[in-house]
Amino acid sequence: MSRRINSYIVTLILSVGAITMMTPMLYLISYSLRSNGAIYQFPPTLFPKLSEITFENYEYVLSDNLGLFTYFKNSIVVGVITMILIALMASALAYVLSRFDFMGKNILFSLIIATMVIPGLGLIVPQYQIAVKLNLVNTLMGLIPVYTAWMLPFSTFMMKGFVDNLPKELDEAAHIDGASTLHVYFKIILPLMKPAVAAVSIFNFLASWEEYGWAQTVISSEHLRTIPIYIAGFFGRNNFTQFGYIFAISFLSLIPIIIVFISFQKYFITGLTAGGIKG
Amino acid sequence: MLLSSIDHELRCRMLNSNLINKKKMNISKDKIQIVLLFLPGLLFFALFTLYPIYKLFIMSFFEYQIGSKGNALFVGFENYISVFTDGVSQYAITNTFIYGLITVPSQIILGLLVAVLINSMSKGQVGFRIVYYLPVITSWVIVSVLFKYIFQNEGYLNYVIVNIWEITDLPVKWLETRISSLLVLSIIGTWKGIGWSMTVFIAALTSVPKELYDSAKVDGCNALNRFFYITLPSIKNTILFSMVMLTIGAFNTFTPVKLITNGKPLHQTEFILTWMYKNAFEFRNMGYSAALSFLVAILVSAITITQFKLLGKK
Repeated sequence: MSRRINSYIVTLILSVGAITMMTPMLYLISYSLRSNGAIYQFPPTLFPKLSEITFENYEYVLSDNLGLFTYFKNSIVVGVITMILIALMASALAYVLSRFDFMGKNILFSLIIATMVIPGLGLIVPQYQIAVKLNLVNTLMGLIPVYTAWMLPFSTFMMKGFVDNLPKELDEAAHIDGASTLHVYFKIILPLMKPAVAAVSIFNFLASWEEYGWAQTVISSEHLRTIPIYIAGFFGRNNFTQFGYIFAISFLSLIPIIIVFISFQKYFITGLTAGGIKG
Repeated sequence: MLLSSIDHELRCRMLNSNLINKKKMNISKDKIQIVLLFLPGLLFFALFTLYPIYKLFIMSFFEYQIGSKGNALFVGFENYISVFTDGVSQYAITNTFIYGLITVPSQIILGLLVAVLINSMSKGQVGFRIVYYLPVITSWVIVSVLFKYIFQNEGYLNYVIVNIWEITDLPVKWLETRISSLLVLSIIGTWKGIGWSMTVFIAALTSVPKELYDSAKVDGCNALNRFFYITLPSIKNTILFSMVMLTIGAFNTFTPVKLITNGKPLHQTEFILTWMYKNAFEFRNMGYSAALSFLVAILVSAITITQFKLLGKK
């Protein structure tokens, strides 16, 4: 009996919290479904009247001349390439750091951990200079190396923790059978690392998908914009922010992320426990 | 008989030396393969992380003239001195600290509370988890625009507190003073981060052995005692981990400040990164900006090491 009451209380508290968490999001969806002017109407309401609902914001932002699809494509291209690059480099680094001894290994690993601490944007001044030298300014390819550099140390750290927990006997046995290091890595370690790689990759994709500071610094051509710079560009344009459009674009850009999250939900947790942070 | 035994021994030796040779060959071949695996990541790390850090350090001792490339003037510690004496950078550093001091504990406490509650449910866990995690996967740009709108003078929040709850007569000017802006930014940071710490804590909670709770129950411990004497000690490392990550995150705050207050009023709500960014790309004050960045890197490392020292002790 008291257990039951307890579980009702738990559900009640969680629901109140959930409503608080969701209200801003409801607001976003609700105003994306009303005309731009409705946002300045008084009193504001959380839910639109049925007669108020219109898809004009969506029609406007989806119309071809706005190039929303180009920006989506840019964001996806950058996110996917960044994610794959990091997955390849970090898993290889993690494997070598975890399984082999060589000179300077501890120094290197300490450096990797130390650089995790540095705020990403903290390095943008010298990184910008490198980008200038390598002719990467105002190209999509200019985003990828910097995003990769930001997320590589943490990804390596997480994956190394995961490889450390894999039984050594597996690859030792393969080595005795004469398998080469590359073979062991590609055929034994990498397949076992799948959950860790998946989890880290999702985080890396999300981070790249939402990055604003560096993208805004490097990209100046309109057709190379990623979604975050596009949304921010709508903000305060001509001293008048068209919130209806912004909210519609925001909601559209959330859909793929929510789908990714719901379908890979279990990896979010394995990913977090992967780095040996259990308990 | 003798002969055959010698023959056998010989054969064994040969086989053995063959094996050793093969192994040696394998090792040198393996070395190349190890280097092959290792090199891309290492080069990348060296070029895009280590070299920029070195560059940053050097830059922090120079003054760069506007428009001129390569004509840097060596100024010694002048940039560092101006970081320490300049009023805005002090605002930027204290603001970032205040933000961290509010958001780190509140994300940990609320995240842990939600995690414990969700973990105690027998069904419906997934739904709540998704709802609480949604803000985490919503991009900072969207969150900033949304909350800037909610906290406007004529925004939804003011409507609720003035017209519905009637707490004040006049709308609160949330984004026009330093302290209220910091409060707003901290609320947003907490709202966005609860889901992350919740997920980390749920992962940790599921690995606490059930038997501990069962035997505690037998001994008559109530829920609160079980939480403080079993749960908390068992997830200590996770709390430390999330504290470190959230602190790093707090020092990483850029987008919401840039989009919501952009330092207004009068640079009073500047954060370390926004101030660094403005100096680098708007005022072209590269040396100053580099000094600020470098100081922050040292500061965050020091804080992280202290956190490990304080809580890492067994």
